[in-house]
Amino acid sequence: MSARLRGHGPGVLVAALSSAFGVALIQGTGVLDAALRANALTGGSTTVGVLLQITSVVFIAIAVYAGAVVTTNTFSVIVAGRVKSIALRRLLGSTARAERRAVAREGLAVGLIGGLVGLIGGSVAVAGIAAAAAALGVLGPAPYDYAAPQALLPACAVVLTTWIAAVIGSRRVLSVTPMQALGGAEERSEEESRAGRLRSACAAVLVGLGIVLLVAGVALGAVTFSGLLVAFTGGVVSFTGIVLGAHLVIPRALRIAGRLMGGSATTRLAAENAVRYPQRSTRSTIGLLVAVTLITTFGVATRTFGDMVEAAAGNDPAYYAGIETMLTTVTAVFSVLIGFSAVIAGVGLVNSLSLGVLQRTRELGLLRALGFSTRSLRRMILAESGQLVLTAVALGLVLGTVYGWAGAHSLVAAARGMPGLWFLGVPWPLLGVVVAGGVLLTVVASVAPARRATRVAPVEALGVE
Amino acid sequence: MRDTEEHSGAAPTVARVRSVTKHYGSGDATVHALRGIDLAVRRGEFVAIMGPSGSGKSTLMHLLAGLDSPSSGEVWLGDREIGALDDTALTLLRRERIGFVFQAFNLVPTLDVIANVMLPFELRGTRPSREERAFIGRLLTELGLADRLGHRPRELSGGQQQRVAIARALASRPELVVADEPTGNLDSRTGREVLSILAGAAAAHGQAIAMVTHDPVAASHADRIVFLADGRVVAEEERMAAESIARFMLSLDTGR
Ligand SMILES: Nc1ncnc2c1ncn2[C@@H]1O[C@H](COP(=O)(O)OP(=O)(O)OP(=O)(O)O)[C@@H](O)[C@H]1O
Ligand SMILES: [Mg+2]
Repeated sequence: MSARLRGHGPGVLVAALSSAFGVALIQGTGVLDAALRANALTGGSTTVGVLLQITSVVFIAIAVYAGAVVTTNTFSVIVAGRVKSIALRRLLGSTARAERRAVAREGLAVGLIGGLVGLIGGSVAVAGIAAAAAALGVLGPAPYDYAAPQALLPACAVVLTTWIAAVIGSRRVLSVTPMQALGGAEERSEEESRAGRLRSACAAVLVGLGIVLLVAGVALGAVTFSGLLVAFTGGVVSFTGIVLGAHLVIPRALRIAGRLMGGSATTRLAAENAVRYPQRSTRSTIGLLVAVTLITTFGVATRTFGDMVEAAAGNDPAYYAGIETMLTTVTAVFSVLIGFSAVIAGVGLVNSLSLGVLQRTRELGLLRALGFSTRSLRRMILAESGQLVLTAVALGLVLGTVYGWAGAHSLVAAARGMPGLWFLGVPWPLLGVVVAGGVLLTVVASVAPARRATRVAPVEALGVE
Repeated sequence: MRDTEEHSGAAPTVARVRSVTKHYGSGDATVHALRGIDLAVRRGEFVAIMGPSGSGKSTLMHLLAGLDSPSSGEVWLGDREIGALDDTALTLLRRERIGFVFQAFNLVPTLDVIANVMLPFELRGTRPSREERAFIGRLLTELGLADRLGHRPRELSGGQQQRVAIARALASRPELVVADEPTGNLDSRTGREVLSILAGAAAAHGQAIAMVTHDPVAASHADRIVFLADGRVVAEEERMAAESIARFMLSLDTGR
């Protein structure tokens, strides 16, 4: 069993991160709630606590989702690397279902280990911070019990989603035939699922419906304040559609990004690689796309909202100043919380790049033999990583800007003195941080895979194993 | 044409190994793959390397092509000793001077046929001249690939893939083409076809070939046959008939 768990390090890491994040949020809001109750001023009120918990559930859901997508990818890559040995066992009489069940069991084990580590890690982190805050006098004494049962929820959610992710990711096991153990067949592109038709249709419908609702929300916003509700629904519906149809959108966007990277042999090879397994690339970018979209949406919405209020308030700067600080603080907190999902997505990106390198050892050896220098090799991996990040960040920025703009206009356009529809507040500092984060991720994600790639000796392309 | 060159005796060597040894591992577990070999490949010459399995043929090829370094001895590519070169210099040297055909997995799976063939130019960062492009066009037609240029490797048969590899190895007209059992995965007829194309094209352009093969018929096209056994050169013959090669190989096998 322990041998079978090898290669699952990234899976455990992602599960532990999502679980720790969820547990920390629950425990953190619990501590805050307890402190507020103990406080004479706010004491007795439960509203704040409930509100805090509801908001944290949303953030936890996003992180767990990002983690699950990454894990699905990790498992599908692991299975792709095991095709030969699975085929050999099939040849010796094992059934496809038994093979898949074995992978699913590994998923459960990964989820359990990660979930537990996260549970302990998240609780300990919060307890430490609370103790430090109490010692500094920032927070009053909080009579809070860390053994709160609700802290188990995110950990359990992680175990469950990891398990499901393993089942989904291992779909390919079913298509491994005993024959594949025999032929020295060249690796083939991952078989794309054919059940995608219904999914694409659903995605298209959701996106269409969402756009209609968004437009309606903005239009309504010009006359009443309830436009936001409609626009918000439109945003959620259309983005669900985009995530669902990501397998259609992202590979196309990747191709365009690839073309932007230039036409040298290095970048062309990188571009081809990024779209070699469209499903894998889609899964490595989707988490990042979600995070960037949400951060941008929130940033643009608050900025536009703030600027519109400022424009409307015109000659009452004092009134505006209060709003400004509040908006900046909320945006910062929100971005950090979503940013955690981006980190999880980043782990997934590193992992899929590394495994991609591992799986094309021979190809890299061949390129080395033909005269690819280690520098070109490193540049190739960097370009590949850059292409994935660029796609996610660019798409996310565009989507987020549209959503944020629609949200702000649907909310306050009806108020007197508001500027027209063309008005857009751009949170340049925030977007700067997002882009810088993208550049950083590109470089960081390519370090380990590039090191591994340059260690491939040219001789490894020769002969057959 | 080849003969006149040989008789002139002045053909410069494109690759040479001098008393090279290669061992793997250490202590009791040491495997001596090569135990002191001298070999020179001259310009335009077709050398076949034969020998029982495990005799060190592949290891020798790797050294000759600058893909690996010897435990002791010297390896010269043209007028440069590769022991003195760093990885980048060696890479450049390979890129400029050597073409490869391996037993399998010769092609980059994500590139189509023409992109695979053009890869050496891309790596050098040069555009083929008009004359070179015409040459490559002829080569591809000769190899029966003219109507396959837009296909990916996985859409080709094994023989076609090997022919693409040959086209690539010859396209940039390197001085030396190194081939390690290039037809090992093919049936014997296809294999011989592929080999005669390789030998013919190389002869037409004065390229040297060093090729490992187990097929006596393939080896009978070579100008020189080098027999290895247990990491040593046990015999070196000028052109031989297929039957005598087969007989000699048999004696090597039984003599072990
Ligand atoms: N990387 C390695 N590590 C350890 N031993 C090796 C390695 N590569 C080759 N050898 C050993 O060196 C010897 C020569 O190997 P080589 O591959 O050169 O043989 P060969 O003549 O090409 O055989 P074949 O006809 O089977 O391809 C063999 O005994 C082999 O086991
Ligand atoms: Mg060999």
